[in-house]
Amino acid sequence: MGILKCLTGKGSVLGLVLLLLSGCATQLAPLYDKALMDGLTAVNSSAMELLASAEGGTDKAGFGTREPGYNQLIGRFDALSLQSAARPVPSNDVLADVRKIAGDKTGQAPAIPSATALNKLARTFAMMRDTDKAQGLTPLEVKAFRGQVVIYLDQALTYEAALKR
Amino acid sequence: MAAIDINQLLTSIKTATNQVLNQDIATIKGFSDRQLKDIGQQAITVAEGITTGQITEATRDFFLNSLKDMVKNFLATLEGLVVVTIEKLWNAMVGAIWGAINGAISAATGLVLPLPTQA
Repeated sequence: MGILKCLTGKGSVLGLVLLLLSGCATQLAPLYDKALMDGLTAVNSSAMELLASAEGGTDKAGFGTREPGYNQLIGRFDALSLQSAARPVPSNDVLADVRKIAGDKTGQAPAIPSATALNKLARTFAMMRDTDKAQGLTPLEVKAFRGQVVIYLDQALTYEAALKR
Repeated sequence: MAAIDINQLLTSIKTATNQVLNQDIATIKGFSDRQLKDIGQQAITVAEGITTGQITEATRDFFLNSLKDMVKNFLATLEGLVVVTIEKLWNAMVGAIWGAINGAISAATGLVLPLPTQA
């Protein structure tokens, strides 16, 4: 914890600047990114539409009509993952110490969980696309892909929403 | 120098931290409940698919590995949510404490103490 510094000279420019600085809060997690949240909300609905259209299973003969949808989703999730991971994570001695006590020998901050979830979403749709192309999808495979997408989307959306503080 | 009213200070700290805790615990509990239910359901779907042959060899390993990855990132997300809560609690507490100190000393001395930060 930093040493407290007093400011003097009420009414001075320096005093005003320091007064404004005194309102700065401690930051332990990445900043909220509204553009990222908007993108996530939009891609969420596109993903659910594609999954709903494949609900009864797919035939590889019709893959050509679905391919652009898959590619668009994979591209958007990859882009959002990069956007999420590009934010700086505040380094903090207190949290690093807690992580060391918990058994993490590096004490380093973990990856941003929404960036991981978004990357996994891109990989999930890539696997779904490739399987659809090669042999089509059974209804239960579509259900399993949907289940996986819902879980990762919930992780990404909940974490990003929590950053709005 | 104006005296700090200890009861008033304690009430300010309690109000600020309770507000954070009530809201964030509800968020974390709701998230945990949804994830546990969805991950459990996903395990049932994958097991059923492997048993009936509807989850084919092409996707079996992918879904099994994904279950492990989803659990791992669920825990990482929980940790991330807790860190955000700790941040809010820290800021709420030092805001109340330093607010009381500044309220007591600034009129007489012209001093305004900046909030301490965790580093």
